[in-house]
Amino acid sequence: MEEVDKILIHTLKQVGTEVSEEVNSVKQFTSELIVEAVVRCIRVIDPGLGSALPTSLPPGMSARFRVGMSLAQACQDIGYKGEIGYQTFLYSNEPEIRSLLMFLVERLPRESAETSDQPTGKSVVLQRAIAAAIKAQLAVPWLPPNCRLPLHGETQSPGGLHSFHVQPLSLPHCTKGPTKKELIDYQRDILPPVTAQPSSHASVVASILEQHTAELSAAQEWDSEWNSQGLVSRLTPQEYRSRKLTRLRKRAEEQLRSAALPSAESAFGGPRSTSDLSELLQAFRGSAPADQVLTKGSHFTHTQKFTFTQEAAAVTSPIPTGRQSEGDVQLRQEEELASLQQQFQQLCTDVDQLTADMKHMGVTNTQVLDELKQRELGNTEEEERMQVKKKTIDLLPDADNNLVKFQAQVEASAKRVLHLASQWEKHRAPLIEEHRTLKEICSNQDLESSRKLSEIKTLHDKIRVSTEEAKKKEEIYKQLVTELENLPQDASRSAYTQRILEIVSNIKKQKEEITKILSDTKELQKEINNLTGKLDRTFAVTDELVFKDAKKDESVRKSYKYLAALHENCNHLIQTIEDTGTILREIRDLEEQIETEHGNKTVANLERILDDYKAIRQENSALAAKVREG
Amino acid sequence: MVVLLSSLPATQSLTLCHRVVDGLCGQEPPRLEDYSTTWSLKEWQELLHSLTAFFRLAAGNNSSDEEVLAGLSDVSSSHAETVLTVLKGRREEIRSALLDRTNSISSATLQDFDWQLKLALSSDKISSLHTPLLSLSLDVRENGALRPITMEMNREELNTLISSLEAANKVVLQLK
Repeated sequence: MEEVDKILIHTLKQVGTEVSEEVNSVKQFTSELIVEAVVRCIRVIDPGLGSALPTSLPPGMSARFRVGMSLAQACQDIGYKGEIGYQTFLYSNEPEIRSLLMFLVERLPRESAETSDQPTGKSVVLQRAIAAAIKAQLAVPWLPPNCRLPLHGETQSPGGLHSFHVQPLSLPHCTKGPTKKELIDYQRDILPPVTAQPSSHASVVASILEQHTAELSAAQEWDSEWNSQGLVSRLTPQEYRSRKLTRLRKRAEEQLRSAALPSAESAFGGPRSTSDLSELLQAFRGSAPADQVLTKGSHFTHTQKFTFTQEAAAVTSPIPTGRQSEGDVQLRQEEELASLQQQFQQLCTDVDQLTADMKHMGVTNTQVLDELKQRELGNTEEEERMQVKKKTIDLLPDADNNLVKFQAQVEASAKRVLHLASQWEKHRAPLIEEHRTLKEICSNQDLESSRKLSEIKTLHDKIRVSTEEAKKKEEIYKQLVTELENLPQDASRSAYTQRILEIVSNIKKQKEEITKILSDTKELQKEINNLTGKLDRTFAVTDELVFKDAKKDESVRKSYKYLAALHENCNHLIQTIEDTGTILREIRDLEEQIETEHGNKTVANLERILDDYKAIRQENSALAAKVREG
Repeated sequence: MVVLLSSLPATQSLTLCHRVVDGLCGQEPPRLEDYSTTWSLKEWQELLHSLTAFFRLAAGNNSSDEEVLAGLSDVSSSHAETVLTVLKGRREEIRSALLDRTNSISSATLQDFDWQLKLALSSDKISSLHTPLLSLSLDVRENGALRPITMEMNREELNTLISSLEAANKVVLQLK
């Protein structure tokens, strides 16, 4: 019975009945608990029928009685065949309640069983949860803002509709480099807290998140770049950074130059050359347009504005001199404008011409300079040659002497050269040796460092791999935990099936035993029959024999009488034994009955009934008194 | 017209200057309501513009203290000192803001973006759909005006978008 009770209590808990932990058998159910359990079951089975029933017993006795009656009626409506009435609930006895609860639990819809049969993947569970949540939210009616309860806040308040708008924040820890006194003063005295910095409160979280993500991604990018390229370059981080900065600058300059050349020529008609790149950059930096983003044509607009204002100044100056009619003024203005435009155009063409001339001149100038250089080179060569010739001419008169001198000099210089060479060799040998050793050391160090680099790289890889693994394992762990949370039902289910199988095997065993006992009894019966038959026959033979002799002999007649008496007495004895058996059986039956009656708590229930009866009478008298008073 | 600053006491002008720098760095600029007793609308705008331009120029050219003070010769010395302290303290911030502005030098720049992932559970025709949809909203600043762009994509469209963005990123990386 314990197993059954456990299953019952488990199911009732699932239906929503609050069964306390101490209660672990149907025996311990109070009337209130029974009523609640039955009502919850009925509500699940037939919501229309159950919604009218209260889950708790009212305090008044007559009301209790009525609730019991309606519950019994509801159970019968569902199809309960057994004996049921208000007494089932108010004066419960264990077997009745158990059978009623078993009936109700069997009638419960099998939804849970079906759902647990479905594959319980992570995504399926999630999707089902989402669908259930949305269904629940759709079921909630829309309410105007003033009527909203906190539970509507999640789905109906406009809080979730804030879009993700980011504003830049000023955070003290973001500023790098040496902290100045002014900066510290500012951060201490004036900088508002981060929650007060964005203009609208809704974008605080978004801004903070964005700032942190930006910092994090920058740090990560730097990390990966440093690991992949920076370490190999064998520079300190600062050096690497500065080198990259200069490289990027150069590149950007090249790009800008190449991009600015055609665009500038097309936009300004050619007069601008690439030399004004710095000017262009200056314009980008210095100009302060009202709009926040610099547009590409800003320089153009800038110059336009400049020329325009000049013109305007030129135009406005002569106006206030005379007070002519408006037409005249307009005419004059137009004339002036035309003339000015003409002038302007002429100037433009002049400028064009001049620039073209300048270019031409520049080219010719460089050409002339080149020619000049070449000529100068030629000149110096010629001069050298001339000096050599001059010397030879000077030496010519005393040719023989000079020749000898020359030879001596040549020999001496050859000797000197040899001497120098030997000396050089002497110096060179140790130097080369040193160079070699140094080279070797260097290459050794190179090898060492590259080995270490590769080690570092492998370590980094390992770290990454192991963090990934850890993450994966954590995820798996989480998934398993959720699965575990979903499991207990299934576990109990398998336990139940195991239990059932055990019970079935037990029953089989018992059946075998019963059949054994049955065959035993049959055998016994047979033996008994045999014996009685034998007895009858022996008795008949003996009876006949003795009867025959009885006619002749007086003593034999006496023995015949004894025989008859013995037979009769034995028969009586058997009869009595049989009677005792039946009586014993009856006694056992009666004892069982007494047991069950004890189980029914009849006395207690009777007392309770008496109490309740008194209570009803009191209520009735009170009501009657009220009526009389009224 | 930084001269207009002189009509405010030095302590208040310090906060004002800091707020102006805040506005320059993309946060909320100071409002006229707080200073309406001191300046008219026109004066206010002039002051704001000139201060902004001054800070921008000084930080952009990396001018020295003497140059800054020379540029503020028409203001009283205490005010000039205030402006200088503000500039000194926040030069880095202004510089990064200016760099940001230079960074976004193109006809349209992405100012901000937001995304929401939605799961269409069912439609009017199909009871169980389970199609994830991404609604992406981009705030694009185009010629100075903010233009919101919103689009909804299914998985394939999102993959196309991501692959094209990755290709663009590759081009940018090649520039480095």
